[in-house]
Amino acid sequence: MNPYYELPQDEAGYSFGFLDEYAKREVRRNILKAICIPGYQTPYASREMPMGRGFGTGGLQLTLSLIGRGDTLKVIDQGSDDSVNAVNLRHFIELTCPGVDTTERTQDATLIQSRHRIPEMRMTSAQTLVLQVPYPDPLVVVEPSEARRKIMHGEGDYSRLLTKLYEDIVHFDEITISHRYPTRINGHYVLDPSPIPRFDVPKLHQSPALILFGAGREKKIYAVPPYTNAEPLVFEDVPFRTEDFSDAQGRRRSCHRCGATDSFLDEFTGNDGERIYQCSDSDYCHQRLSTQHSAANEVSR
Amino acid sequence: MKMEPICKPQSSVWEPAIQQKAFRQLMNAFAFPGSLETMLPEGQGRDNTVLRLILATLTDGEVTVADPHHLIDDQDWLKLETIKEAPEKARFIVARGDTAPKFSPALGSLECPEMGATVILGVTHIGRGESLVMRGPGIQSVKEVACSGLNPAWLSKRGGWNGAFPLGVDMLLFDAARIIAIPRTTRITIKEGQSWDM
Repeated sequence: MNPYYELPQDEAGYSFGFLDEYAKREVRRNILKAICIPGYQTPYASREMPMGRGFGTGGLQLTLSLIGRGDTLKVIDQGSDDSVNAVNLRHFIELTCPGVDTTERTQDATLIQSRHRIPEMRMTSAQTLVLQVPYPDPLVVVEPSEARRKIMHGEGDYSRLLTKLYEDIVHFDEITISHRYPTRINGHYVLDPSPIPRFDVPKLHQSPALILFGAGREKKIYAVPPYTNAEPLVFEDVPFRTEDFSDAQGRRRSCHRCGATDSFLDEFTGNDGERIYQCSDSDYCHQRLSTQHSAANEVSR
Repeated sequence: MKMEPICKPQSSVWEPAIQQKAFRQLMNAFAFPGSLETMLPEGQGRDNTVLRLILATLTDGEVTVADPHHLIDDQDWLKLETIKEAPEKARFIVARGDTAPKFSPALGSLECPEMGATVILGVTHIGRGESLVMRGPGIQSVKEVACSGLNPAWLSKRGGWNGAFPLGVDMLLFDAARIIAIPRTTRITIKEGQSWDM
């Protein structure tokens, strides 16, 4: 080997979107099949990425297969644009996808990659949401064999999953699943809606935006097409309920920054031990604050 | 949602940037069944450019393609580097929409419904002709799209192929410039009320 050899700069660089075109084409084919079979976990050959599996490689491969020049991307982690996972993924995409804009404003994005949250602002049919998924199969808690799970999914046989939910009610008087709530899509497949809180599950139902799920470690892609029914598994006499942000007096707690009473709230402990609640979706909170400041400035003039 | 045509006559369908844009249009077409996506400027779709663009975007040596009506040029077969297969086994089937199907495509299996074929049909004109009324995922209430040059046998056969969800076939219709997609979940009736429900 010639020790003085240097790879020419144009060959040393990565192709647009890091993935080679064969990898993108495979992901793209599976995205289309995932849309055609709502909720079905389409297997694909998840590629090695320059980050550990479990850090959003499934969502990242979807995003890199979708994105092109002229797109505007938003990346969030637990609702925040500034957390480590979101910052690193955004930086990687900026490096490997020249010509792509990034934003923190939900309404400006054409593509949104997210971990653990669906934005508070209602998405539009011009947007696509990509969710990072650690464990795609809701049946894994009742059936260890993937071959049997695939048959159960195909037959729409979720009786053992419903039994698990029923056992929860017997033991605890309620279904104790806090996130990854099993949700039936278009009346057939039940999917794991990634670790979004219960609060976000109703946003899947009849969403105007296409929602794609990528599980890199488990090598699965699935989708909730726009305007599709998404119903959390429930019993007739035990309705689905979302997180309760009411205080002891039954009043809905508000964000301590923007005062929102309609958003998912994160709980913090202040320096004096007091509990503080704040919007989980940082962009939603910032935009509300900005609107309030503008309104206050108008009044003071 | 409307997008500008992405493929100018002088640009090549083999370029990754063109294929990325084409894929986004294909994805929109499948996500919003019946919505019309314009792939080429009106009147400039020659020599099966739309078909070439679809195949260049979706196929390679990892999948099989059937071409019972010989719509794909020999030169394109070489560039696609894909594998020819009989229509009964192929993952992608390219066929004329005005000719009734004489084969039964792969429908997938209960465990692997994604192995159901994607049928790519060339039609005379999308946006003119007999109205198809569509319902199902991706459609807010009802979507109506006109199409000429589609033999009714395709829709009646489709009803049988898609009778046992999740097994089935997904369809993509193209003319000289536009495409519409019909996933296996879409229910279709014609205007007069005759049903070809899945």
